Amino acid sequence: MFTKKQKRINVVLVAVMLVMSLFFLFPVIWMLANSFKTDAAITGDMNSLAAFIPPELSGSFLDNYISVLTDTNFIRYMANTLFYAAVLIVLGIIVNGLAGYALAKINFPFKERWLLIIMLLMIVPMETIITIHFLFIAKLGLLNNIIGYVLPMIVNPFNIFLFRQVFVSLPDDVYEAAQLDFCSPVKYFFTMVLPMSKSVVATVSVFTFLNVWNDYLWPSLVFTSSDLLTAQIGLNAITSNENTTMGQTLAVITLVTIPVIIIYALFSKQIVEGVVSTGSKEG
Amino acid sequence: MSFIELKNVCKQYANTNKKAVTDFNLEIEEKEFIAFVGPSGCGKSTTLRMIAGFEEITSGELYIDGKKMNEIAPRDRGISMVFQNYALYPHMTVEKNIGYGLKNMKVPAKEIKEKVDWAIEILGLSEYRYRKPKNLSGGQRQRVALGRAIVKNQKVFLMDEPLSNLDAKLRVSMRNEISKLHRSLGSTTIYVTHDQVEAMTMADRIVIMKDGIVQQIGRPMEVYEHPVNKFVAGFIGSPQMNFFDVTVDGNKIMFADGNSIGVTDEMAEKLKKYNRRLIFGIRGEDIKFDPQNLDIYKENRQQAVIDNTEIMGNENNLYFEFGGVTAVARVSKYEVCKIGDKVDFVIVPHKIHFFDIDTEEAVIL
Repeated sequence: MFTKKQKRINVVLVAVMLVMSLFFLFPVIWMLANSFKTDAAITGDMNSLAAFIPPELSGSFLDNYISVLTDTNFIRYMANTLFYAAVLIVLGIIVNGLAGYALAKINFPFKERWLLIIMLLMIVPMETIITIHFLFIAKLGLLNNIIGYVLPMIVNPFNIFLFRQVFVSLPDDVYEAAQLDFCSPVKYFFTMVLPMSKSVVATVSVFTFLNVWNDYLWPSLVFTSSDLLTAQIGLNAITSNENTTMGQTLAVITLVTIPVIIIYALFSKQIVEGVVSTGSKEG
Repeated sequence: MSFIELKNVCKQYANTNKKAVTDFNLEIEEKEFIAFVGPSGCGKSTTLRMIAGFEEITSGELYIDGKKMNEIAPRDRGISMVFQNYALYPHMTVEKNIGYGLKNMKVPAKEIKEKVDWAIEILGLSEYRYRKPKNLSGGQRQRVALGRAIVKNQKVFLMDEPLSNLDAKLRVSMRNEISKLHRSLGSTTIYVTHDQVEAMTMADRIVIMKDGIVQQIGRPMEVYEHPVNKFVAGFIGSPQMNFFDVTVDGNKIMFADGNSIGVTDEMAEKLKKYNRRLIFGIRGEDIKFDPQNLDIYKENRQQAVIDNTEIMGNENNLYFEFGGVTAVARVSKYEVCKIGDKVDFVIVPHKIHFFDIDTEEAVIL
């Protein structure tokens, strides 16, 4: 039970948090409300509270969305990005997961040094090596090719580290028991290790998805064909077009935001669990 | 040739000078129940893990069913194992945990079901069939681990302190269940424990270890009645055997506090060569307080003041100062003493053990 003093403190805390969340939410609310309006209505409402209130439901309510979805390739871009994300999630879990497992459970020479090198790679910004990636992919003739896009994105030192931290605390006797149950090491990884580490798998999946969804630089270098573009490049292409209205721009931005919000809503618990468990001490 | 044979098996971990297990020799017959017992760090689990194949054998040879196993992978040794922390697969139900090995052995689904049903039935797990390990109690988890081991029909069962995580009451009932299971399955079992009671009650033969060295191998009563050294004498039996530093003086054995008891001429003659000083050992139940024994051994009657009593229900432990140490006697529940009581007691002469004061080896009389 709370004492009176604690109750009062709680009320103040809630109030502060409400104000803070309003502060962070107001651009989103503004974006959402105005994405349903014509440009004239947007400029007209600009200096009043009406800027945060969507227009009344009418036949033209969804016009901005309909025109964006029908007049541009935006659905295609979103579908492309979802596909790339799915491929990278699967490959990323296999490759980074296996690397993390090796670093956690298998003994090999200079294991600790390898881990250190991989951790050092986390501090190298993508932008510094992207030219090399680009030249390499271009030499291989993989520009404008999904393989060329995916290849340099699979390995992620941070994800290797996350996996390693979780796998290190898995009990060894389960592996021994599985060996006596005729389970091969590879089968053990896929049927035991990954299911036993659901939260880190979820965390890595979400991080990978966000990475792919929000990435602009790398896809803009690899892809020039409009059939292969990602949502962020599509967003830029649409919004920088002279004919696009402000309402349409806001509609596209809203559409790009929706999957991110859905993913966060679905997986926030696992993400927190995953991040917390990777901080746990070595077992 | 015996079913399982360990020949001069040694284990030395990299970067250490000391051997974890030194010259372990043992022959185990088919269907035998062997217990490895000793204090923690004595090498008993390491030996078991070498038999399982989870630890490399540094030197020496291991044979199972006539085949040399040193280089054979654990899965191909024909063993199943029960682990101290159960090692269940956390994301699988009880049923799947038990059947997992059979599935990997490519046993037909119908047969898997039959075997899993059988294991679930005899282990009393029917209600929990579809539960995951986290929703089971310690005892139930241990049963699942047993089930997983028995369905595979392997010839050798290895158990690594399987009951140490259970509460005392459950331990007793599981002890009983494992013994029964062993008899009905007829598998060869090696059971590691630090609890001498488990070893005594379950095993056909006991291997007592200390600091990586086998101290004694023998049937439970053999190691209890004829321990080869002071360590075994002290480790087996509860309460622990009483030890006194004594001096042999002619026909008399002198205790540190000046008390003495007499021995026969024959015994005195044999004790002569041990440099006069010896360790004298007597088990609690061989210190007698009842009138009948006091009468039989009246020439060796001693006196003591009871320091402390432990009422066990079926019997009582009486503590008293004697021979410069605190001694304990185990008496029947009908022999009631109060703290501070001055009592007479005798030591049953033919139950006395003597140990060399330097080597601590038993002195055979």
